[in-house]
Order: sequence, then structure tokens, then C-alpha cells
Amino acid sequence: MTDAIVIGAGVNGLVTAAYLARAGRNVTVLEARTHQERASEIGWIPPRVIRDLDLVRHGLTVTPPDPWISAPLPAGGRLELWQDLSKSVESIRRVSPKDAERWPRFTERMAKLARLLETLYLAPPPDLHSTRVSELLRLAGFGWRARRAGKETIVDLLRILPMSVQELLDDWFEHDTLKAILGAGGVSHICEGPRSGGTAFVLLHHHVGSPRGVFRRAAWKGVGAFEEAARARGVTVKRGAEVRAIVVKDGRAAGVALASGETLPASVVASSADTARTLLGLVEASWLDPEFVRAVQHIKTRGVTARVKLTLAKAPDFERLLVAPTLEYLERAYDDAKYGRVSSRPCIEARAEGSTVHADVQYVPHTLREGAWDDPRRNALGDLVVKLLGDAVPGLAPRVTAREVLTPKDLDARFGFPGGHLYHGELTLDQILFMRPVPACANYVTPVEGLYLCGAATHPGGGILGASGFNAARAMLGGTR
Amino acid sequence: MKYDAIVIGGGHNGLVNAAYLARAGKKVLVLERRERVGGAAVTEEVFPGFKFSVFSYVVSLLRPEIIRDLDLPGHGLHILPLESTITPLPNGDYLGQWGDHDQNRRELYRHSPRDAEAYDDYGREMHFMAKAVQPILGMVPPDPTSLAPSDLLGLLRLSRHFRNLGREQFHALYKLMTMSSADFLDEWFENDALKATKSASGIIGTFLGPRSPGTAYVLLHHYMGEIDGVFRAWGFAKGGTGAVSEAIAAAARRFGAQIRTGASVASVSVKGNRATGVVLEHGEEIEAGVVVSGIDPRQTFINLVGEKHLPDDFTAAIKRYKFRGSSGKVNLALSELPDFTCLPGVGPHLRGAISISPSLDYVERAYDDAKYGAFSRRPYMDVVIPSMIDPGMAPPGKHVMSCFVQYAPFDVQGGWDDRKREAFGDAVVDTLAEFAPNLKRAILHRQVLTPADIERVTGLSEGNIFQGELALHQLFFLRPAASFAKYRTPLRGLYQCGAGTHPGGGIMGASGRLAAVEILKDGA
Amino acid sequence: MLKETPFHPRTAPLCVSHAWRRWAGYVVASSYELSHEREYHAIRSSAALLDVTPLYKYLISGPDAARLLDRVVTRDVMKTRVGQVLYTTWCDAHGKVVDDGTVSRLDERLFRMTAADPNLRWLHENAVGLDVKIEDVSARTAALALQGPSSRAILERATGADLSGLKYFRVTRANLGGIPVTISRTGYTGDLGYEVWLDAGQALPVWDALIEAGTPYGITPTGILALDVARIEAGLMLLEVDYFSAHHALIERQKSSPFELNLGWTVNLEKGPYVGKRALAEEAARGPAWRFVGLEVEWESLAGLYAEVGLAPRLPAVAWRASVPVYSGSAQVGYATSGCWSPLLKKYLALAHLEGAHGAAGTSLEMEVTVEHHRKRARARVVKTPFFDPERKRA
Repeated sequence: MTDAIVIGAGVNGLVTAAYLARAGRNVTVLEARTHQERASEIGWIPPRVIRDLDLVRHGLTVTPPDPWISAPLPAGGRLELWQDLSKSVESIRRVSPKDAERWPRFTERMAKLARLLETLYLAPPPDLHSTRVSELLRLAGFGWRARRAGKETIVDLLRILPMSVQELLDDWFEHDTLKAILGAGGVSHICEGPRSGGTAFVLLHHHVGSPRGVFRRAAWKGVGAFEEAARARGVTVKRGAEVRAIVVKDGRAAGVALASGETLPASVVASSADTARTLLGLVEASWLDPEFVRAVQHIKTRGVTARVKLTLAKAPDFERLLVAPTLEYLERAYDDAKYGRVSSRPCIEARAEGSTVHADVQYVPHTLREGAWDDPRRNALGDLVVKLLGDAVPGLAPRVTAREVLTPKDLDARFGFPGGHLYHGELTLDQILFMRPVPACANYVTPVEGLYLCGAATHPGGGILGASGFNAARAMLGGTR
Repeated sequence: MKYDAIVIGGGHNGLVNAAYLARAGKKVLVLERRERVGGAAVTEEVFPGFKFSVFSYVVSLLRPEIIRDLDLPGHGLHILPLESTITPLPNGDYLGQWGDHDQNRRELYRHSPRDAEAYDDYGREMHFMAKAVQPILGMVPPDPTSLAPSDLLGLLRLSRHFRNLGREQFHALYKLMTMSSADFLDEWFENDALKATKSASGIIGTFLGPRSPGTAYVLLHHYMGEIDGVFRAWGFAKGGTGAVSEAIAAAARRFGAQIRTGASVASVSVKGNRATGVVLEHGEEIEAGVVVSGIDPRQTFINLVGEKHLPDDFTAAIKRYKFRGSSGKVNLALSELPDFTCLPGVGPHLRGAISISPSLDYVERAYDDAKYGAFSRRPYMDVVIPSMIDPGMAPPGKHVMSCFVQYAPFDVQGGWDDRKREAFGDAVVDTLAEFAPNLKRAILHRQVLTPADIERVTGLSEGNIFQGELALHQLFFLRPAASFAKYRTPLRGLYQCGAGTHPGGGIMGASGRLAAVEILKDGA
Repeated sequence: MLKETPFHPRTAPLCVSHAWRRWAGYVVASSYELSHEREYHAIRSSAALLDVTPLYKYLISGPDAARLLDRVVTRDVMKTRVGQVLYTTWCDAHGKVVDDGTVSRLDERLFRMTAADPNLRWLHENAVGLDVKIEDVSARTAALALQGPSSRAILERATGADLSGLKYFRVTRANLGGIPVTISRTGYTGDLGYEVWLDAGQALPVWDALIEAGTPYGITPTGILALDVARIEAGLMLLEVDYFSAHHALIERQKSSPFELNLGWTVNLEKGPYVGKRALAEEAARGPAWRFVGLEVEWESLAGLYAEVGLAPRLPAVAWRASVPVYSGSAQVGYATSGCWSPLLKKYLALAHLEGAHGAAGTSLEMEVTVEHHRKRARARVVKTPFFDPERKRA
């Protein structure tokens, strides 16, 4: 008999399964797709998860990009920022001595805030209404840490989190390219522009786990390591097993029904699929209260990032490249998305792996207001990306031998990202911490007893690999003990 | 002659502050640069026979305890109801929001049966939220960085307040504080014009659009008045908003405060770490135990005190504090009432507000123009015809019309000049005339006020009507700067009482009152 | 502007009292005649014709129509047969009553729901994942209630149909003056009575046909004041008067559960999941904190209070809708929300909410009465409702 079924063999699903198995549970992971599709993944894997699951031994490797970003300068050349702080200062000094002087202070303050966030990320979201002593102690602990970090940090925390990244950057810097590099980090995977409140938080979220002065995540190779690690702990991973429904008996999850017609009983079920798909798609709605249904329906998953893969005849001369010269460029790109259009001049962040270039293109709406996604539109987007990258990297365009364009709509269809949103829900201030994915599910639980959520839809959310799965497993073990 | 307190600026907050100090037996002098009190709450006969609430035009959140403590009705305050809002639509129809529940429901039902029902649920939710926020408006913000017992106690009280709300309400409030008004309203309504019109109250006085996060909580303001114990707190002051200022000034005088108009303060006198008085423009020096500034933080600290008397980090914070005036005002003297295509003739709709906000995109596009340094070609407008409610505002049979217009950025590209001001006025009139074609013919006189004009006349920096943007990072214990949100300043004896302090914004008077409470607590 | 019902061209000239009132955004007659008395007696002795168009009416159709309603209301809709009508409550997720009304199964996949409040949004919110169509037919469906001992005879004459087979809480299709209508044996008077549902465009000929068929029987157009007395006698509660919808309540204690409204019999805890079931099951196990009961004010006690000031007892001329404290000894143990003098039973009746222990039939309590500007307490006894329950209602 299976103790636990985990739906989805993504990173979070596998991490949940591995931790459950580590605690002695009999775990089966069900995955609709027949094989692993992605070779690498961007994000921060908490070191604790790497250690606990021996991920390195199972083949996980990482090389932090260095420089972590390069961006073309208007006068020619590129602004390159490095893993090494003093090297970055030197780069910045060449374009703005004033900004170079401020870089160390800025990065120190951001790193402090990111460290505070990090303490919140490897734990369930704080429960401000809890009356449990342990939770109150935890809250007090966080308060104490914030206080110990100094008055400046408390003010920064209160002031910066709700701010727009543009306001934050205007407080510190003058150089457009530098501001655009950080600004692009603030709007990454979010249907907001750099002038929108809460984007300073997004910049910080993506900074968590990176060294001071580095605002882009490393790419991890060998995603298969997670599956290996899970299997090594006795987890059964069934591929090609599409879950049709979660079986609920007397308000309690009792197993799952597969598309094949087979029913698998289990005492608990954890879903790494997004909230709406799990609860509105797989659970009979009568078990859910209308207020809850309404809350789930209102989760914002406005996918805005397309993925374009280019195959080049020869490796390009960059590792990471940003095409977005100014904050205004980003804001105008966002303006198009507000009205349901593809940015006429999108923000492109390209990552080279040998002669393959993966470009994240923003803003590309999941649903166009006029017309629908079809091949001509997809091709036009591909052309636009090649042209803009070609402008930034002379000689690149003619070397493109193949390309693949995946719009948010395609990402939805192919990978099941709701609304094409990689994070299963935007990281806006109203959708983080105890609000994520909806307050009633904040602690990885659902209104159906024995049914848990463990995917990126939950705290701390996307861009951090395995933290949701880790927290969910702990919540499940606490709950079933 | 030495005063206990000098209040710089005779705006409504300054006057409230002076009244409370005088009521406590202090010898108080108010210094107002202009020839009349009121600041941005003034009534002026701009054209012969036509009186305008030149800047601020509705009374929204005037605190009921101020009305009671100062007996403002006894000093002539009379608030007339403003009940309805109509939104003309491009297709020749309109969306009405009426005071009567049945009428309102019927009208909304015409546009969206579901919205007609959601409207009540929404109202109830906002009632809960307003109740949750209301105590905070009357609270001196504790300093979260301080370890002083009073601050820790304040923080404890604040956290207890939020915990007592219960989970559901706390989460709803949290959403309201962090979301954009467009997203928040999307969760309730489907009708675009309804969402746009409601969202507009979330953007007033900010340099943000309806889709900008942080604009949702201002939606509450419309609902605050209902629970304040002042029935119909949202309305027109008879005689214009100047009458509110006059009533407060009369109350202050009754308590013994002196008010000098035409008295422009050049600087605050500082000895050591202490403010000792002020120096007027013509050189007169006046001493006082405390100096209270009702004018905005930039004017107060950078212009009147001077950076040399202030710590660097404080000055830096004040310089970072954002004004970004975004609204203008067009005042029209009319020979006849506007005749709206959607509701022809004279009717009850002319006694309420007319909102030019046909869709969320319309308002958002108006913001887009402003983002890149232009005034909105087709702006959002909140239009009222005060003479319909208070006929004394215009000669018999004639009318005055007040158009609050957004967006008009202070930092318009190339700066404001006469030509640009008139072009802005034309954009306003042209937009309105699309819905009321007789308007152009009816205009006898027109006054156009850009943020630059608002700054010039009232002294409000960058023409921001709230003495600084009401953005999340400029609220509560961050208004105007961390550690100085309790009406005190780095200088002993110098206080702030303007809308640049918590809770700020609107003709509320709360800042003025809370500052007085703190000053008296310090034993001034 | 208030809405007029489609019967307004007929009711307006009849309303010689000019006593109109609002009901759900419509204007309807309080009483047609100068006093509502004769209209009340028509309900109990002949037949009263009431315009009940302002009720909210929804048509729910499609393969999942029954499932939607079953998910919303507290009674078992899955088991209803075509032609059956359910009186039921529906609750929010916390088991607090949102509204009460009727659900008629007009066809296998077609239901009509009536409600006191708008419920379109609530129905839609509960329809997630269901294949169902929800139509608000409030405006396009007119409704008349024909209530009283002669109502069957009049309807049979007007329709030419035999209605003896139409049992209590059943619905049928019929033809009235050549116009298709549905007739349900339902009402708000606790008497023999019917409600006629029809297309609003056909309102006037139906009215005329009923008046014509009913005149020999003394059919009497009747307003809300008379209805209010009849429904109190029948022990029927009224939304916004006797209880508040959980959707309108501002504080928790303004909400009521079905058990607290004496409607525990409408709560089915056996059927599948529905909104509020969990909370209702818990409450059923625990027992309700409040009971909704009938009170009879003792005449001697009331007469005594008036005698003290030298007056004969004053009785309410119309049914009152107010909150009146009810005491046990010195402690307030509840409050009455509706009351009237029953001209038929010759008793002063009230409907009251009492804290659990005081709700047993026969309990002796005191209800506040104001005698010559002074607040006094009259003895009152808890009695079972309905106060008036004629056999003909179900026969």
C-alpha cells in the first residue's frame, strides 16, 4: 500500500517524494510525461536540500555564470558584472564613477535583505494569526534577526519591499544600463513594469541565495539528479501516468484515479501541479467552499515570458546577455502587455550553452487581445528576437541555424504552466508568504484533508528549486505523524 | 512678544493644529503667506459672481472628532450631500451609481446582473476594511526601529489590532494594501466602466495608474465616511471648501489663536539643536516655544530650516520623499448647464459627480501619457457642478463647474508654460465636449491650473495635492521619513502637522490634530 | 424610479388607499382598501389575490441543474421528482443561512428557484465545473398568489382543470384564459393556496381571468399588510425582518443557522457534500444556540398592564416588524422580531429568537410592551408554530 502519492515529477514533486521516503514513507510519484524534457533549470537550490538528498552525488552540477550579466552599452562595448565584487566595481567605474562608488553599499544592503528573506524561505510562511507558542517564537525570532541586522535594515525592509524597482534604483544609481540590468531582474516573470510597486521585492527574491552583488541565478545541469535521489530513497516514479482525478471520500483524499482507468489508493496525496489545476481540475468541486473557489480562480498567473531557443553555427561571445537598455525601455515593453500585445521591443535575456542560446523574452502575453497565437505570429516573434539579439551581438543573426519559439500559451500546453506562468503564480506582494497560493492553503494544506500542495504555487514559489517541496514534505510529516 | 507656538501655514491642518493647541490654553500664532487662510482648501471668486473651490473641491474624510471638538457646525460648516456618480460611455450610454439602493441596483443590473449583486458584497467588504483601517488613521505611528517602551507598546498594539481582525479580514486588508485597484476590482466586477470609475478613486493624487500595485487601498476612502459617525461625510461644503477652512479658523480664533495672513515665513530660526521661532520675509523675527509646520516636508526642511541644521540621513530621506504632482484643475464658469448626450437635459445626475472614466484602459492610457512626460491627451476627470447643490456659488441661472484632471505631470517635458497650460485646458474641454456638446458654447470663463500653478499659488511642492504621494513606502511610520513619522523632527521644538505626515491626504485634519496631541504630550 | 410590476395597470386603480410600499425595487400595494382588514379575512375565508412578482426567480437548466441546486441548498434535490416543490434554506460555508425559498422541479433538467434576495452571483459561484445554465427570470416572470379556502375552486374555474390531484408543494402546468402558466400549491399564508407563474407579457389577461373567475367567490386583491398577519399566524419567517442573510450581516451574531431558525428539518446531513454541510453537521451534534419560536402574549397580563393606567388593552393595528426584548426573570433571553394581533385566533402573537434553553414549548417568559410611553413586560408563553394550521392547507 502506498502511503503517499505525489503528482508531478518536477523538481518540487521529487523533492517532496524524496523527503517523505527519507522519513520512511512508501511514496509513488506519478508523472504524465514519459520523459524528462528539460536539461537544465535556472534557480537557487537551497544547500540544505542538496546536502540532504546527495544531489551532487546524483549528478547535479552548477557553474555560476561569470560575468553574470553583460549588456550592450549605447556607446559600444558592454557593461559586464562579475561574481567578484571588485571586478564589477571596475566595470561600473568605466561608465559611472558615482555608481561604482555606490555599488558596494547597495549590494551589501540588498544582500542583508536577501539573507533575511532566505530565513523565511526554508520554512512554512509565517502565520501571523497563530496562537501556537512555537510559531510565535518563530515570528519573534524573525523580528529579532531583523532588529539585530540594524535599524537601517528594518527601514529598508519596510520601505523597499512595497517599492517599485525603478524608485529603488533611482535612489541609488544614474547609469541607464546598470539600472536596466537590475530593473529587468525586478520584473522577471511578472506582469508588471519597473514602475510598479512590489518589483523591488521581485529583484530581492531573485537575489536570495546568490552571492552579494550577483543578481542572476546559476543554471543547474543534471535535473535528472532529483529523480535519481528520489529513487535512491525508494520512491517509485511512474511516468506516463496521467492523473484524471483525486479521489475524495468523506472530505479526505483517498487516492487518485488515472487516465488509464486505474485507481491508486493512498493515505495522502501531494500535488506539485498548480493550485487551480489541482483543486478545481482534479477535485470534485462540491468539496470546496465557494469563497475558496473564488480565491483560487483569482490567483494571478499572467504568463509574460516566452522562451526562444536558437541554435547557432558557432558559440556566441557571451554567457548571459541582456537586451533592455533602459528602465523606460522595460516600461514601454510592459505597456504593450497591459493591452494584450507582444512588446514591440521586448526585454530579452539570453543564456548561452555552447552554441545554443536560450532567450527569455518578455513581455509576451499568454492570450493576445487581438487574434490568437498561430505560426505566423510565433515566427514574427522569433524574427523579432533574432533581430534584436543580432543588433546587440553583431554577426549573430546569420549564424542562427534553427530556432524554437515557445509562447506562454505553448508553455501552458506543453509543461502545464498555468497561464504560461513558470512560477504557477506571479510573485506580486499579494501572492507571497502567507498569501501564497491562497491563504487557506498557505501551509501546504488544502480544504480536502490529506491533500497537500507542494509545487511552485506555494511559498516560497518559483525561482527557488525544491524549497516548496522541502517545506511541503515537512508540513506533511508534521501533519500525518 | 513670544508665543507658545507658531504654526507655519494656514491650511486646514495648520488651522486644526492651532485650534487644538489654543484649546489647550496655548498662545498660538498662525502665519499664512497668502491673504486668505485655507491653503488648498479655499473658495475664491475667480470671475465676478462665480465662486470656486479653486483646488480641493470635496470634503471627504474630515475627522468627526474634529468636527465635534471644534464645533465646526457652530462655526458655519454645512456639508451638503453628493450622492451619485455618472460615467458617460463612448457608445452614448452611461453608467450611474445612485444613492438609493434600489435605483442603484436597477441601474447596475442594466449593465451587469452579476455586478449589481457584487456591488453590495463589495460594499460590505469595504465596510469591514474601512473599520479595520479607521483606528490606524487616528493613531500616532510607532517607530518600528525604536526600542523605546512607548514604541514597542505601539507596535504591540498595532499587531494586536491586526491579529484581532481575524484571518479572513486581515488577508483581505493585506490584499487591499498591496494590489492594484484594477486587479482588486477584477476580483469583484466585470463591467469595465464600473471598474474604471471605482479605480479612479485609487489613483487620485498619485503618479500611478489603475494597474499599478498599491492603488487599491485608496478605494477605501469612499467607504470610510460611512462608518465615521458623520452621516454623509462625503460631500460639498456649503460655500465651497474655503468654508471648511473658515470654520476651522473661526474655531481657532474662538479658542484664542491669532491668525496673520500675508505673513510669509522666510526661515525657521535654529539655535543649537532647537527651533526658536521664525523670520518673516520682510525680516520680522518672531519667537516661540515651538514651531509647527503645516507645509510640506520639502518646503519645511530644505527651504525653511536648511540642510545645515539637519542630519545627513534625514535630509537624504526628505530628498527621496516623492511628490510627483500628477493632477490639474480646470474651473469653468458656465452660462448654462452642460447637456450630456447620454442623459439629456437637467436632471439629478448634475447634482452628483460626472466621472470621465469609460474604461480601465482609458484611465491607464491617460497614465501612460504622463509616464513619459506629457499631460494626458484624454484625461481622467472628476467633474462636479457645485452651483447645482449650492446655488450661491454662481449668479442666478449660471453655473460653476469644477474639473479635477489627471494626469498632468509636474515634470512635463519642456516644462509648463502658458501655451502648454492652454493646450491642457483645451484637452480637458475637448474631452468633456465629446460627452456634452453644448459645453464649449456655455463656457464664459475658464481657469486652468497645472501642478506648476498649484505649486506657485499654494506652495505645495510639485503641485502634489497630498503633500507627497500616498504610496505604500510613504505611509504610516514612513511618512515623511522613518523615525520622524511622529510629527517630531530632528530639531527640538520643531514639529510637522501637514498632510506630509500620517495619515495625510484629503481634507481630513487628522495630521493637524495628532500633531497637536503629540506637541501637548511633550509639554510644549 | 421604482419598478412597477406587470400587474400595475390593474392594481394601481384598485389601490384607493394610495398605500404603497417598496419590495425588492418594485412598488406594490400595502393595502388596496383604506384598511387591510377585509383583505386579511379574504385570505382566511374566501380568496385573496396577491401580486408577488417582486420575488427573485431563477431558472436553472442543463445536465447538472440538479447537482448545482443540491450543492447550494440544504435539502436533497437529487431525489426530488418532476412536479415537486421544496421549501429550503441555503447557507454559506459556515452553515449560516443566506436565504430561503422554493425549488420547483419543472422537468428532469429544469428547475425554478425563488428567493427573497438576489442570488444570481451565488448560484454562479457554486456552478464551477458544472454544465448548467442559470437565468435570472425575475423580470420576465410575473407571479400571483391566490390564497384562501376558495382558491382551488377559482383556479379550477379559470383553468378548467381538476386541481384536486395537485398536492401540497407540487407544481403543474396549466392553461389560464388561454395562456400557459405553471401553478404551484405553495404560498406564504399557511392556508390552502396556489401561486401562478407566467410570462410577464401575459400578466393582464391572467389577472383579468382570475378576477372574472373569482368574483363569484369573493376574490379580493390583497396587499402586503394582510399577508404579513397571515404569515405570522403561519409561523413563517421573513428575510431582513426575522433574520439576516449571512451575506448581509456585518457581525457574526447577526447570522443564523437553519437550526436556529427552527428549520433544522430542511437540513439533510445524509446527502453528498454541499455548502455549509461540515459546519451544519457540527452544529447538529452540538445543538443550536438559539431557537426561533412562537410566543403568545397572555391576555390577562396585557390587560392588567393597561388597566394600571386606566386604559383598555391597545393592540397593534398592523403586524409590527421590530426588535422587542424577551425576558426570563430579570435576564433578557431573546427578542421578538415580528408580531401581530390575530383577528382570527383572537390572540397577540409574536415570533421570537430565544436562547436555547428557553425555547421549549410551554415555557413562560415576558415580552416587553410599551404602555403609555412606559416599558412594561407582559407574560408570554412559548408555543409551537404554526399558530394557525388548517387542515385544508394540505388536504
